[in-house]
Amino acid sequence: MLIPRQTPILARWPTVSEAGPTRRRVLAAAATLSVAGPAALTGCTLPVRIPEVPDPLESPARRAEADATQASTVAQLAAGADPALAAAARALATDRRTHAATLRAELRRVRPRPAPHSASPPAAPQPATPELTSARGVLAQAVRAAHDEAAGLVMTLPGYRAALLASVAACCATHAALLS
Amino acid sequence: MSPSQVPVDAVQGALAAEHAAIWVYGVVEAFAPGALNGQLEEAATAHQARRDATERVLTDAGVPPVPPEPGYLTPEPVTDAASALRLAITAESDAAAAWRSVIERSPAHLGLRAAALDALTVAALWATRWRARAGTSPVTVPFPGAPA
Repeated sequence: MLIPRQTPILARWPTVSEAGPTRRRVLAAAATLSVAGPAALTGCTLPVRIPEVPDPLESPARRAEADATQASTVAQLAAGADPALAAAARALATDRRTHAATLRAELRRVRPRPAPHSASPPAAPQPATPELTSARGVLAQAVRAAHDEAAGLVMTLPGYRAALLASVAACCATHAALLS
Repeated sequence: MSPSQVPVDAVQGALAAEHAAIWVYGVVEAFAPGALNGQLEEAATAHQARRDATERVLTDAGVPPVPPEPGYLTPEPVTDAASALRLAITAESDAAAAWRSVIERSPAHLGLRAAALDALTVAALWATRWRARAGTSPVTVPFPGAPA
């Protein structure tokens, strides 16, 4: 902002005689500081704990890993008895393993190392080995749940991640269709 | 939705992909076995509905929707059922990519993202169906619509 020239700037400053720091004022200020200072400083230096919010991709990454493991197990179980199911399970395992790898890569890109104060994420639960008779339904249910989780995240995540999860959701929908 | 939030270029790209898919299904129907006519009709109708809805999004945003091209170059000549099915797979893959791009460029919580996810998913389902029909393996891809 331009200051109008006709108003001399210095003219508006208080003169030393009316408001300048007198010896008494300086001492009073110092006394106040010596009381308030340490308390204020302690307040400032308390360790600030920023709560470690889990990355929203952590859950779909772990789910993809669990699904891949489960699908691989089913593929082995069904190999002789139900070749069509074995093929579907193998394809599912391959795609879910690819999802897990890509989601993990994105997680590492954002947080190259786990934060020192964060608890290590709990290990992915080992999915139960389904009976062969119910295996198709179990895999279909798991992949539908994966679809729903990914589709939900599409609405909230920023562009690149939303697109990534959209592809995961679409892929899960194709497997759900093949398994039903 | 607020017209200013609509990623116009991406939505025009999706509309262009829908125009192309409608044209493609016209070609595919001429070469595919009659047993597929019902499914082909269903796919074509879905793309027509998507085209109409996409045109409305653009019109509401005050943007003239892109028209269909008079013709399209196919990656390979369509001469039989097999090449016709491959063209259908290409059209669905292109639609998936175009709609994924709409998701990537739309602000979060915009209704358009949900519509684009539906379009991407439906395209992935059709592509999978046609791959299965064509005997292509694998029939699925891990990231439908993702740039190769």
